[in-house]
Parts: sequence; structure tokens; C-alpha cells
Amino acid sequence: MRSVLCFGDSNTHGQVPGGSPLERFGWAERWPGVLQEKLGPDWRVIEEGLSGRTTIRDDPVEGEFKNGRRYLTPCMQSHAPLDLIIIMLGTNDLKRRFSQPASEVAMGIGCLVYDIKELCPGPQGKVPEILIIAPPPMHDDLKEWNAIFDGAPEKSRALALQFEIMADSLEVHFFDAATIGECDPADGFHMSAAANLALGNALAQEIEAIGWAGAQ
Amino acid sequence: MPDMRFSPPNPIRIADRVNGLNAVSVRSHNERLVLALLLQHGGTSRLAIGEKTGLSAQTISVIVRSLEKEGLVAKGKAQKGRVGPPTIPMSLNPEGAFSIGISIGFRKTEVVLIDFVGTVVVHKTLQHETAGDHHVHPDIFTTTQDILAELSVKRRIRVAGIGLALPDLFEDSEPLDRLRKQLESEIDLEVFLQNDVTAAAGGESLFGAARDLDNYLFFYIGAKVHSRLILNHQIYNAASTKPYDVGLLELERGLGSNAVYADELWERYQGLGNFDAALAEWQKKCVELIKAKLAELGQFVDVTTVVLSSYIPPEICREICSYLINDTTNLSAIVGGLEVAPKAVGAASLPFASRFMT
Repeated sequence: MRSVLCFGDSNTHGQVPGGSPLERFGWAERWPGVLQEKLGPDWRVIEEGLSGRTTIRDDPVEGEFKNGRRYLTPCMQSHAPLDLIIIMLGTNDLKRRFSQPASEVAMGIGCLVYDIKELCPGPQGKVPEILIIAPPPMHDDLKEWNAIFDGAPEKSRALALQFEIMADSLEVHFFDAATIGECDPADGFHMSAAANLALGNALAQEIEAIGWAGAQ
Repeated sequence: MPDMRFSPPNPIRIADRVNGLNAVSVRSHNERLVLALLLQHGGTSRLAIGEKTGLSAQTISVIVRSLEKEGLVAKGKAQKGRVGPPTIPMSLNPEGAFSIGISIGFRKTEVVLIDFVGTVVVHKTLQHETAGDHHVHPDIFTTTQDILAELSVKRRIRVAGIGLALPDLFEDSEPLDRLRKQLESEIDLEVFLQNDVTAAAGGESLFGAARDLDNYLFFYIGAKVHSRLILNHQIYNAASTKPYDVGLLELERGLGSNAVYADELWERYQGLGNFDAALAEWQKKCVELIKAKLAELGQFVDVTTVVLSSYIPPEICREICSYLINDTTNLSAIVGGLEVAPKAVGAASLPFASRFMT
């Protein structure tokens, strides 16, 4: 039995676009659930999606719990051993309150990768496979969220390249979610049901392509 | 490991996302390994690439993505297996790179443009006014220029170089010198030189029937018959470079008419009728020659495969191969995979071998 940790924000939690933060897609509809279905019974998919999560930043409005870095280490320890860790973050780092360029968001992702490599929560105390996902870019109109995400849509279009540069640099896997889906125009930055389905399917293929030696 | 999280990323392989081939002149060994593997076995999944090259999953992931962005490899249709998610086969992208090959022969000069998987895209033949060695056809340069001018912009920037294949002992002459200088300076592409039969063997190893073979004896049937020994992918020439007389010239002599050139013969091959006897006898002579060479070689090396390459109809070569197999034990004889202008295609493979393969 192999296990994969899906570490992300509201797009991993399955938040419904345009809905309240309390509305989420069902297990089978959100991408970790789709992934579980596609990978089959030899894999256990562990979802850890927190709405508002950033890569490495304490959120002055939402609180320090939203800081991905604070949560990641005890989370990995709770679920170890892990064969694969998937990180899809970055959207919340683009909130106006942080005023960060796309490259700094990538630095945050890099920081998380270093933390994973430092802890070695993989099988036999090794470094697990790591996959970084760039979220689909935001639409220009974010409705009532425009002010909170002032300047974010343009930066979100640069995330994929910055994440890929970071992934290449740290020699970890990379996937650009924009290749298979987009954000729902209902609020402009949450993934639609269709995008969740497409992402789960695509990741199953990516994960298979990584190659897993021998018996589990 | 030292904690480097403070420093900016250092992407090793992310290509400048410009159209065209990666400007990096030293392509990494691992990238070449992956390209060479995909050339040999198109439709290989990333998992299988890892198994065959021994590279880690992350390295494969980075390399494949980088080569994909460069346009050198492409994903195929996802294939559903019995269990688990579908696998995605990776292959070389035929449009990924192109190359020019020029081969100067006895009666004609061939100029070809091939794509990244060795398919001949353009083929021009320049007849020599008089048959003979050391003849540099005056139109070689303009023919090459024209072929390149006809290409779309997208394809033109992906031309990797020009290969020039010359016969043994080709004399250095003023026209040859001029041609080389012109090609190098006016077309702005690297020119690679090689002996023509060695080039044909190289082309066979890269794109043809021999791509899976480590060791084989290569025979090229042209005006004369030439041979090369390939051991562990290295191409060896005999100390004496004299070719064997049992070539197409010999066949023409056997057919009894000096005016009937082999080329016309093949055009009329369908209803050869009264040529059959002479042809069969010539084929038997070829078989005897090959057997003799194999016997000589057998004293030193154990080679169990013969590859026959020529521009004559493959059926004729196939017949020679079946005679051979019938007459010997433990021998495999196959017809070369390059049916069109094998020496020129071999020449064209030189820039690819240099820039992309191990």
C-alpha cells in the first residue's frame, strides 16, 4: 500500500466556486478523491486542504494557522511513511496583504520542499517523491474578492514558470494544472468540478509515469 | 545536506522558451541517453525509460519535460493497461529536428533532407555528366540552398546541420574545397564529413534495421560492393579500402549491355523476364562474396547478423538474404531499412549523432 499526501489550500479542500467557505465538493468530486478512484486500492490518498493556506506566510488577518510551513512538518509526521507528497499552493500568497511577486511565491514552495527533504518522511526514512502543482491562473474578475486579490491575476499567470524553475532547480516533479483545467468564473480563483475531475485524472497518469519499483 | 533555501533557484535544464533548438551546445549525457533510447524504441513510457536508463524518476521527469518543451519529444495517446491509470508513451517528434545529407557517388550525387526519425522529406538526385570518381557536381550548393529555402520558418530553424559523405580516396580538389567553404560560410550550418559507406552504416544503425544490433557485418551494394564491420556500435573499415567487384557494375556486365544502367533496370524490374537468369547468377555471386567474407571474419569475431543496404529494389536484396540464410547456419541476414539514398541519409544522420545522441 502506497500513500500520497495532497497538501493544499481551498482548491484541495474542494471549496465550491462562488459558494460560502462551508460548501465543499463531495469526496468523489474533489481532485484527491478522483485521484484515489483512479489510482485504485493499492494507494491511499490523504487530503490536507486548508482554505486560505499560504506557502510560508503567517496571515495577519486569517491567523498563523494558515501558514503552510507551520503545519507541514507535524502533518508529514502524522502520516509518515509517505511515498509521494503533492503540493498545490500559491493562490493565497498572492493576496494584496502580502504584496509578493510570483518568484517569491516559488521561493515559498522551495522552502516547503527543503522542509520535506530535511524530515525524510518517505519509506525507510528516505526523501519521498515530491510533486509541485501550479494552480490554474486566476481570472481577471474576482467579484467581491477583487480588492483582497488586487494585482493577483497577472501574477498568477507567472506562477507556472516560476514553479517549474524551482522544481527543476530542486529536482522535484512538476505539473501545470492550467494544461488540463481552469478556474471557475463564478469567483475566478476556485477550480470547477470539471477542473477537479481533470486534475485527478491527469495526476493519476503523472504518478504512474513516475514509476514505483517492486512490491509495495 | 547543506540548507540552500536562501539562494535563488538554479534551473539546470529549463530551456529558454524560444522556438528552435536549445542553444546549449553541450547537451547533457543523460539527455542524450534518453534521446538515443527513444530513437531506438519509440513509444516508451517514462517508467520504462527509467528502467532502461537507470536514471531516477525525478531526472526523467525533468529531462522529458524539457525535451517536450523544446519540441524534440512528444506524448502519444494514453494507453490503458490492465490495472492502474493509463500509461503515456513518449516518442521522438519527427518535426523536432531536420538535417541535410549530401552523398557524392559514382554516377550521381544525392541530396536529402530528413526529419528527426530519419524519414526522407526531400530527395534530389544530381546526375553526373560522366560517371567516375572524384566528381563534384556544380549544382550541389544551389540544390542545398533551394531545399532549405523551401522550408517553413518553423522547420528551417530546426535544421541541425549538413552531412557530407565522400567515397574512399576522394581527391581534394578545388571544386570540393569551394563547396565546403560555401556550405560552411553561406548557409551557416555546421558541416560534418564522413566516408560514404561508413555514413550508410551509421544511418542504418541510427534509423534503419540495425538500430537494435550491437554487432553486424554491413554490406553496401552500389556500383561496387563495400563492407563494414560494426562491433559494439563502433564502425570499422578494413585496412585495405579496395571494394569488391561484385557490384552493380558487375551485374550490368553480366546483363551483356553496357548501355543498360542499373537504374533503368530497376524501373523495368516488374517484368524483367529475360534478365532473370543473369540477375539470379549475379545474386549468387553476391552470396558467395558475403559467405567468403564471413568465413574470413569468423577467425577473429563471432558475427551472426548481416545487413544488406542498397538503393536497388529491396526484393532483390531480400532474395540474396534468403539464399544466404539457406546456405549458412546460425546466420541472420536482413535488408537495410533505408531504402531511399542510404548513403545520403547516413550523411544526414551525422549532425543528429553529434548533437543529440550518445
